[in-house]
Amino acid sequence: MSAPMTTRLDIQARVQQAAESLRVARVSRLLLSALACFVSVWAAATAIDTFVELSASVRQCVLPGAAVAASLMLWVGRAQFHAVTVERAALWIEERTPSLRYALVTAVDPRYAGRVPELDAHVNTHRYDDAVRSVLRGVLRGVLWGVVRQPVFVICGAVVALLLLPRGSVARVARPSPGDTLRREVPAVSRDPLATLVVVVEPPAYAGMPRTTSEDPSSVRALVGSRVTIRGRRGSDAVYAIFDTTRVAAQDGDGRWQLTMTMPGASSVLTLAAGAHRRLLSLEPVADSAPVVVLIAPARDSILRRPNGSLMLNAELSDDHGLASGAFEYIVSSGSGESFTFKSGTVGATEFPGEPKGHGTLSARLSIDALEMRPGDLVHVRAVARDRNSVSGPTLGVSETRTIRIARADEYDSVAVDAAPPPEPEKNALSQRMLLLMSQALEKKRRALAKGAFVAESRAIALDQTRLRKRVGEIVFQRLGESGGEEGDALDRRLDRPTNPDSVLAAADRATVANSGTALEGNADETPVVAVNRPLLEAYNFMWSASTELELGEPGRAIPWMQKALDRLQAARSAERIYLRGKVRAVVVDIAKVRLSGKDKGIASVRASRPAADPGRALRLTRFDAMVELAARLPSAAADSLVLLRLEVLAPDRDAAQKLEAAAAAVRRGGDVTAAFVAARRALAGDVERRAGISLWGAP
Amino acid sequence: MSADFTFCTVQYDSGDWDSAPLVPANLIDSVARYTSIRVAPTGVSVPLGSRDIFRYPLAYLTGHLPVRFTDLERRTLREYCDRGGLLFVDDHNHDVDGVFHKTCTDEIARAVGPMKELSNAHPLFNSFFTFEDGPPATSHELNGWGDNLIHKHLQAVLHGDRIAVLYSNKDYSSEWGYHPDNKRFMSVDNTKFGVNVVVYALTR
Repeated sequence: MSAPMTTRLDIQARVQQAAESLRVARVSRLLLSALACFVSVWAAATAIDTFVELSASVRQCVLPGAAVAASLMLWVGRAQFHAVTVERAALWIEERTPSLRYALVTAVDPRYAGRVPELDAHVNTHRYDDAVRSVLRGVLRGVLWGVVRQPVFVICGAVVALLLLPRGSVARVARPSPGDTLRREVPAVSRDPLATLVVVVEPPAYAGMPRTTSEDPSSVRALVGSRVTIRGRRGSDAVYAIFDTTRVAAQDGDGRWQLTMTMPGASSVLTLAAGAHRRLLSLEPVADSAPVVVLIAPARDSILRRPNGSLMLNAELSDDHGLASGAFEYIVSSGSGESFTFKSGTVGATEFPGEPKGHGTLSARLSIDALEMRPGDLVHVRAVARDRNSVSGPTLGVSETRTIRIARADEYDSVAVDAAPPPEPEKNALSQRMLLLMSQALEKKRRALAKGAFVAESRAIALDQTRLRKRVGEIVFQRLGESGGEEGDALDRRLDRPTNPDSVLAAADRATVANSGTALEGNADETPVVAVNRPLLEAYNFMWSASTELELGEPGRAIPWMQKALDRLQAARSAERIYLRGKVRAVVVDIAKVRLSGKDKGIASVRASRPAADPGRALRLTRFDAMVELAARLPSAAADSLVLLRLEVLAPDRDAAQKLEAAAAAVRRGGDVTAAFVAARRALAGDVERRAGISLWGAP
Repeated sequence: MSADFTFCTVQYDSGDWDSAPLVPANLIDSVARYTSIRVAPTGVSVPLGSRDIFRYPLAYLTGHLPVRFTDLERRTLREYCDRGGLLFVDDHNHDVDGVFHKTCTDEIARAVGPMKELSNAHPLFNSFFTFEDGPPATSHELNGWGDNLIHKHLQAVLHGDRIAVLYSNKDYSSEWGYHPDNKRFMSVDNTKFGVNVVVYALTR
């Protein structure tokens, strides 16, 4: 029984081998098909790029797209990786060898092993074994080749195509990058050396910006000092450039020409020429912005009572390409009239080494003692910062300037010299406006309230009115210097009687030094002492009258006094804002007397502001119209003219410049340029200005 | 409707802009005396940061102390010059090493542009009176005060061929700083160059 069993196992082993071979064939076909897909897409894209120039973005998608397609093919056919069962392999053999008459299937079927003696007897004859062996050899050989033949042919065809296509196109698809236009092969007969340009801009090292490449630009926009390299295909004529009346020859090499220059500081036009060919390239320098410096402290100008102590200085700095250093600068001015002395210096100098930083802070303490200032002296403080511009800089940025003045002794009575804010009215005291509203409301309720309740309400308001009046009085007498010896009850007694404003003010005015008696603008007869304090004193007296009426239970009669008091408080607030410095002595020239003719009316005139004049606009429009006509006959000349016009309007009208650039690009592209021309002309013409009337040269 | 020329003195925030209060009246007197320009009898003082300055074709700025413009003042000055105004700056310190000169030239360079030496053949010196030798010297220069120099040229920022900013180190603010009634005591009127500045500002 052992011999038949051994033979049967041999058949099963051979079918098992056939199953493995079939699996290998299926997997090989799948892998080769995926590879064929990848190479075919690559070759097809390269062939298309040879005849129709594909954009960089499209080319960047080719190989990833091919890889995705191949992967998708593998995913769809992933079932091919699974093992082939012996039964399926036997059936596959039976299908191609009908003479086996299903004996092979039966022989490998484990369900019939040993159970059908007749079948085993047949198997023992080795007839099937030989048949299976010969069938397997022939079938598998043919099947394997048949299965992998197609993808192998496709791969070979694609590889041959890639080898035959221009190497530049293959490289453009294999390694697409900005500026690889020059790799693409063009027929030698149509080679215009200026037809295709690639411009590489390398910003200065201090900017820390990446290198950029652009293809066929009509303008180059780069930081001043950037290294600009222009490349093109070499033609039959030598290429040269004319820049600012200087002629520079291009360098040749490897089938290309190349020009290198430094971005100038002003907008200009670079003329590229080769034989009869001309092409303009506008150079648009981008200036490195000065650092922006914001002085945080001191927050405002101020006046110090004494020249001692110190001043905290804080500033925030920022720059577009990195800060280099910063410091606080000060100038001390001493003297008056025609005699001034100055000294200056810096504090808080700070460096910003290492990686470029766009933001920074400055902090320092300025010692007023060390400046040895005297009353009347000024110190001007500002923060400055320098950027890292090593090409045209460093550029200096400065903050606003703060002026700190040391007060003179004779100005204490008229100028708030305290560094602290001015004294505020008592927080818990009701404002005059609130008391007025309460009185008006109480007066309306007079009929509804009982007499006793009405009077009690009125006296409650009178109490608040009195409290507010005393607070106003304290402020006034503190300012007039009369509160030094009066505190508590003494001050109350002083305040608890009506005050004659004129007498108090006259006394205060006399107490001030003579040279502070200059009249103020808008208050021709009043000195600063009077102008500032009179409204408060008047408000004080009106409040006194109001509180008296309220004490008597007559809010209706108190209301006018309260309104007057409120008005005077408002006037006092306005008076506080009077700017004491800078009153120019008014000298009225008698024009008629000077000209010996009649009397002058003495009215100063004003002049209406003039609109910004732009005489070049009409000229530009005329030139543009000429370009429109030129575009039909000589498109390249029209495009160059548009580039020149764009450069001209770049500074005054950036919007028009953009529209002109679009128009130039449209002309270069060919086709319908109507929309681009219409937009450019509208931008050049500008908005219609509507004015209310004819401008005046004098007072209306 | 009046169309009188009004002399405008510029107020700025940082310094003593009012250090020459008699100059406006003196120049108004000279303009009235020598020209037929309709002129207002008094000048006006206008903050540099105010839009009101655009009413006046000529603005006069002087002082002794540091000049530090605010951002608003800087913007307004730039627009004023772009729109055809003429800023006439005079260093009341008459000192090129002085703080007014250093700070003011720095601010003008930042706001309008760098200044260049103005040719003594510029039309400014022929706009009314003729000054063949350029700007007239002042007594402060001749007496050796300030920087002890006689400045042969004025400085200017030009917009095309038009003066946008005229800058003087000659201290005309002191030279012209007297009451116009006292002009009768002078053998030669030293304010004639001021008339040229006014006429130039009104005609260019």
